[in-house]
Amino acid sequence: MTDLTCAQIDRTVLNTLERPRPRYWVFVALLFCGVLLGAGAWTYQIFVGIGVGGQNIPVAWGTYLINFVFWVGIAHSGTLISAILHLFRAGWRNPIARAAETMTVFAVCCAGLFPFIHLGRVWQVYFMLPIPNQRLLWPNFLSPLMFDVVAISTYLTVSSLFWYTGLLPDLAVVRDRSTGLRHKIFRLLSLGWTGAHHHWLNYSRGYLFFAALATPLVISVHSVVSWDFALGVVPGWHTTIFAPYFVAGAIHSGLAMVLTLMIPLRRIFRYDAIITVNVLENVAKTMILTGLIVGLAYGTEYFIAWYSHNAVEWESFRWRAMGEYAYGLYFMIMCNVLIPSLFLIKAVRRSVPWLFVISLAVNFGMWWERFVIIVGGVAHDYPPHAWGLYAPRLVEYCIMVGSFSLFFFLFLLFCKHLPSVSMTEMKETAPHAG
Amino acid sequence: MPAETCIMGLFKDEDQAARVIEEMAAAGFSFRRAHSPIPSHRILGALKLKKGRVGWFTLAGGIIGFLSGFALAIFTAVQWNLIVSGKPIVSLIPFFIAGFEFTILFSVFGNVIGMLVCARLPDYRGLEIHDPRCSGEHFGVLAACEAGREGELMDFFRKKGGEAKVFA
Repeated sequence: MTDLTCAQIDRTVLNTLERPRPRYWVFVALLFCGVLLGAGAWTYQIFVGIGVGGQNIPVAWGTYLINFVFWVGIAHSGTLISAILHLFRAGWRNPIARAAETMTVFAVCCAGLFPFIHLGRVWQVYFMLPIPNQRLLWPNFLSPLMFDVVAISTYLTVSSLFWYTGLLPDLAVVRDRSTGLRHKIFRLLSLGWTGAHHHWLNYSRGYLFFAALATPLVISVHSVVSWDFALGVVPGWHTTIFAPYFVAGAIHSGLAMVLTLMIPLRRIFRYDAIITVNVLENVAKTMILTGLIVGLAYGTEYFIAWYSHNAVEWESFRWRAMGEYAYGLYFMIMCNVLIPSLFLIKAVRRSVPWLFVISLAVNFGMWWERFVIIVGGVAHDYPPHAWGLYAPRLVEYCIMVGSFSLFFFLFLLFCKHLPSVSMTEMKETAPHAG
Repeated sequence: MPAETCIMGLFKDEDQAARVIEEMAAAGFSFRRAHSPIPSHRILGALKLKKGRVGWFTLAGGIIGFLSGFALAIFTAVQWNLIVSGKPIVSLIPFFIAGFEFTILFSVFGNVIGMLVCARLPDYRGLEIHDPRCSGEHFGVLAACEAGREGELMDFFRKKGGEAKVFA
């Protein structure tokens, strides 16, 4: 429950849409340069060939797949916050739901680029679409890679529609308080929304169904991503724990990214009265849970590898802890399990600087978790003569910088051009009388 | 049919707006619309409306999606009858994933279409009888009265604590 009145909520959020300062455009320009760097590196790879990256036998899946899984993971908490917490009627999610949903849409866009980048011959992407190619072959829906195509494109479509539906009443608020070109654009985008009773009646019903449909979808999407690995007979990958392990990890990383984005947003837009410390603390509390689940999954993987008496599996996990990439394992345990457990201390989870630093650590750790799983699995599988190491090359680093720049570039544009907090959902918790 | 005038009563409190709706018929005025900045259960309760029909569109979309997801996976499999790793050509368990994702996708399409159809959106002409304050902090009740009774209706709104606005 917020102490602000409806008018104060409108004023606070609409003030963020005022003409930005030059400093804003400097950041936008810098991030756009990052996007160009990534686009340039990808173009270079298209002309020269996929070999310009470090991927080779035995590690054919390098940073492109790591970043794909990383961004899909980031996308998960948006739907958790907007859909699952909506179904649970958790009012604290209202101030951060819009930005989290937006984060989801942009993160899925970034994730969706990586399979294209990894294809090498990107012009043959239509092989994955359910249309016959020149040899009259069709996609094989037995393959987990085809599960992925269906799941990710469904997730992108559903999360975009969910985001736009949630925006509709707020677009009308901006329309009613703007003039000139902005009024015309928002008039068009708000579809003539007036908040009439028949609008709300059907909107509330539809939004509830959206939340109910998005909840199983979000669980299925990262489960499907995990099956890209778990359905392969590679030690360290071929395990039934992967689906819940990936879903928990995805939510963990997504919540960390929510904190990483919300804390600067709160400071820059003076959202202190809307995104209160209590809201951030609730995110931190949820991260304690997801961090513990992730920690349990790490432990279970090791226990099962030992308990199975499978020599190949046990060697894979021994090497994970003592081999060339052991530092990745220690990064992930430290950043994803041990550091977030500091949130058990109330003073830490109510301290904004601590929240920000720990969120960065979790983002870093979750990226390394994907490195350890994806690279570690194939680098050290069955026959010792086929073991090998992998290191990303300059093109891959540039593409990685490009993807992070694209994400923050889109988010920065969103913050200044659309309401970054749902005014309608905030008003629902506000005192209505005058 | 006698000429009608539409007048909107604007209230800062949703309970006032809901009470006006409940008492309007007894006062001899016809209710047209209620506008609010939030989904008001109090107002929807006063209107005694049934649940929206959006769910039927969602359900129809879901059924179409479930069948078409499976159909697509089976169709593509039988186009090339090659047994891979001893798995049957039509393997229902892996195809369930395509079926499930299509169920969600088409349910959402049905849901969006249902929302737009039932809420009658887009409706740019509806903006002609909309007060911008209703997207802020006011609750608007739009009512119609016969020509000559405008004053009575305005007084009715004012007595209930609201402000009256006449739409041509």
